[in-house]
This record gives sequence, structure tokens and C-alpha cells, in this order.
Amino acid sequence: MSEGLSGSEDYVKDEGAKMDNIVEVRDLVVKFGDFAAVNGISFDVREGEIFGFLGPNGAGKTTTIRTITTLQKYVSGSVVIDGHNIKNDFLEARKLIGIAQQHISLDKDLTVRQNLKHHAIMHKIPSKEVARTVEETASILNLGEFMDHKVMDLSGGWKRKASIICAIIHKPKILLLDEPTAGLDTRSRHMLWDLVRMLNSRGTTIFLTTHYIEEAESLCDRVAIIDHGKLIAIGTVEELKALVGKFAVETTWDDGKRRVEYFKDLDSAKGFSQTLDDKLYNIRRITLEDVYLELTGGDLR
Amino acid sequence: MSLLDETYRVAWGDLVYMKGNIIEVLLSSLVGPLLYLLAFGFGLGGSMEDPSAYVMYIVPGIIALTTLSATFSSVSMKVLVQRLFYMSFDELLLCPLHISSIIMGKALHGVVRATISCTILLLVGYLLSPQIVISPWIFVLIIVASVMFSLLGLLAGLVTSKTQNLALFSSVVVIPMTFLCGTLFDSNTLPTAAAYVIYALPLTHVSSIMRGIMLPEYSVGIDSIVIMIIYIAVLYIGCYYMIRNNKC
Repeated sequence: MSEGLSGSEDYVKDEGAKMDNIVEVRDLVVKFGDFAAVNGISFDVREGEIFGFLGPNGAGKTTTIRTITTLQKYVSGSVVIDGHNIKNDFLEARKLIGIAQQHISLDKDLTVRQNLKHHAIMHKIPSKEVARTVEETASILNLGEFMDHKVMDLSGGWKRKASIICAIIHKPKILLLDEPTAGLDTRSRHMLWDLVRMLNSRGTTIFLTTHYIEEAESLCDRVAIIDHGKLIAIGTVEELKALVGKFAVETTWDDGKRRVEYFKDLDSAKGFSQTLDDKLYNIRRITLEDVYLELTGGDLR
Repeated sequence: MSLLDETYRVAWGDLVYMKGNIIEVLLSSLVGPLLYLLAFGFGLGGSMEDPSAYVMYIVPGIIALTTLSATFSSVSMKVLVQRLFYMSFDELLLCPLHISSIIMGKALHGVVRATISCTILLLVGYLLSPQIVISPWIFVLIIVASVMFSLLGLLAGLVTSKTQNLALFSSVVVIPMTFLCGTLFDSNTLPTAAAYVIYALPLTHVSSIMRGIMLPEYSVGIDSIVIMIIYIAVLYIGCYYMIRNNKC
């Protein structure tokens, strides 16, 4: 059975330092007044991986990502992007980063093509190469028919795609995606997942935040779970599951409440189920959702 | 990469929008000044002893006024919308661009808009009052004044968090400047206390220098040039502080 998992130091050991790290965050603290939105977190993002930040609303995901991209001031700690500390080398760090923010941050008065071109110009792509770069990048997502539409006229899914394409126009080494599929329908979500996988397969490191467990489980090589501004676990999906156990016994009690117990092996789970008398139960493998709910205390905010 | 090159890179999006909507942009910045010219120059001026002298007096004032009206509201509103509603201002901060380039780039579309509008007004003014002196210094002043008021608009757009605050700033600062800063009448005729306040406002000095250049009987005051330079420096530092410290 699970015992006191939340907040345990054992779960936040990040072995990333042994690999090539493209992002290194150390003891980062970000405050809004007296409130610490990010409270002393440390982690690494490895080159070439898809790294996910999973946490409930208000956990500190967006604040962390905005700090890494130099948009948010921090109180203490350090952030290093591919060897460039963002405190004193932020212009170099920015060249390596692409970000698609949670809110579509394109100029809605301009067309998709104009936005792409403006991003290319702002990222100092040589003027002779701007047109070719725009067409090449747009072709990744077959944006063709929408290129001359104003951003304000696009659907939510296409706005998001245009936003991601703008974020990669300068071929960043790391792409940060803040809640990339929030508010999208299932079809658009799967299209974006395919895009993320494709960009990753081309060598772009992806760092995404999400509160969709399915998204983290499906996309990410490693996942960090964050809550109340603190990192409470980090590892591969399988490593995170192992923190809780292997099997779950899900019971529905007389009052209709659902209760889940976790076990390291199937025999223990079966043994427990025999003590449940006539209650309905279900034995299944542990999912990332179990880990998430266990570590965040099932706190839905 | 030079500062000018980066400035253009920042301004590109705003300039493309302006180019695509040039009629609306010019109409919105010219209707007001042309109405002032009509209402004050011919309406009020028509009842004066020498109507043509008054028209000649207000042409430089209205051109000075246009450096404010064509820049402040467009720059401040655009920055406010890009910051709070489109979130596209963040994109500038995510690019490897110097803060000075961002400041000058966001001011540039105001400067272009004001320069075009003022040039049209200058032509209209010259047709109405051929006695006015046309000099290249007029364009230097138009550009410098437009930079100053664009920086004022940028700072207002960076500081304010609601459109209502911007409207309030406009009502309390911009509209009084429009009427009181020597654009339509001599501000020395105001009570002493008010004259001191008016003297501290930037449009007073733009009007004064513009008249000094365009009308033979007026001269350019060094104090006005110094005050404009101080305003530009202070506004630039204010914008720099807001962006550097992620206050926007």
C-alpha cells in the first residue's frame, strides 16, 4: 500500500546531469509579492528528449517556462540554456529557444505568412533566406491554404499550429510548449502530438507543460510532476509508476466513493481484494494518473 | 547588427499593417487636425480683424499638435493591445533583440505615421498661407517630436494594465496639452500659475520651435530644445526600465 508519497525527497532525484543537458535549472525561486509561485526547483532537460512538466492549474508550470524563456524575473537560483546563463547571457540563450505560449501570441491583425515573416526577420534570418525559410517551415504543417488568412480568422487548432510554426522558424535547439493542446478538440490534439513527435525526430528538444496526463504519458520521454511551486517527482513514466507500485485495486464503497490502493505485486493486490467481502473491485495496472493523483493528493484546482 | 537594423526588424509588423491600411491610418490621424484648421482657422479666425494672420499662426501649432495626436494614441493602444490581448509583445522579448531596438522599433510606426500626416498638413498649410517658411528643419522637428510623443505613448502602453487607464491618461494629459500648449492661441495669455504648468509640458515647446522655424517674426528658444531632449531621455529611460525589469 502507498505510504506518504507526496513531498518525499526520494522522488526528485534528477539523474539528468549525467547526460548532455540543454536546460539546467537550479534552486529556482520566483515570487509574486510574498507568494512563491516557484519554490526552489532544480531539474535538467536532456538534449533530444521530450520533457514534460505535469501539474494542476496554478502549480507553477507556466511561471517556470516563462522564467526559462527570460520573460519572467526570478528571485534566486540559476537557469542555463546550452551553456548560456540567462541572467547575463540572455540574448544568446534566446537564440536557442522557441516558445509557443499558452495564449496564442501572434499578431492577430496580420496574416499567418506575415507573422511567420516577422518572426524570421526578428530572429535575424538573412533577408535573402526569409521567403524560402517561411515556405519551408510552413510546409511542415501544410499551412498553405491558410498562409494568407489573418490569424484572427483561424480556428483554435490552426492558430495553435501557426503559433508553433512561428516558434520554430529560426530552428531553435529547444522548443517550449506551454499547454499546447489546452482547449483543442481530440482531432486537433492528436495532430499536434504528431507534430511534436515529428519535430523531436528532427532533433529538436521539446519541453512541454500540460495538465493532461494522457498527453504526458503519450508524448514524453521523461515527466516532472510539479505542485505548489515544488517539484515532487521526476523520471520516465515507468519510473514514476514504480514509485507508487505496479498494481492498483480500485474499490467502490457503499457511499459511492472510489478508493484506490496500490501494491508492488499482483499477489498482494489479490490478497487485499479478498478482504473486500462483497464490495465491487477492479485490479489493474498502475497508470500515470494514479501517480499524479497520489503525489498531488488528488487536488483538482 | 546595428541598432537601426534591429529597429526596423521590430517595426516590420506594425509597418506592414500600416501599409495595408494606409487610408484608414491617414484618415484617423488627419481628420482631427483638419477640423481644427477649419473650425479655428476659418470659423474663429474668420471673425478676427486679420483672418489670414490667424491661419498662418495656427498652421505651425496644428502641425505640432499632429506630432502628438498621430503618435500617442496609435502607439499606446497598439502596445497595450499587443501586450494584454494579443500577447504578441512577448514575442519581441523572446527574440535576440536589444531593448533599445525594441523601444525604437515600437516608436517607429508612430514616427512614420506622424511624418506622413504632418507633411500633408504642411502642404495644406502652405496652400492656405504661402507666407510660411518651408525649411528642412521642419522635418527634423517633426521627427524628433514624433519620437518624443511615440515614447510617451509606448511608456503609457507599457505601464497601463487596462484600456480605461489609457483613456484616463488621454483625458487628463493629452487633451489638455492639445488645447493649452500654444497650438491654437498664445499660452502666455493664460494666468501665471497655468502658464508655468503649460511651460513644463512638451507640446508647448514643439509648438514654440515649429513657430520659430515657420514664422519669420518668431525665434527658436534654446530652452525649448533642451526641454525636449530631457523629455526624450526620461521617456526612453522609463521604457527601458519597464522592459528590462519585465514590468510590462
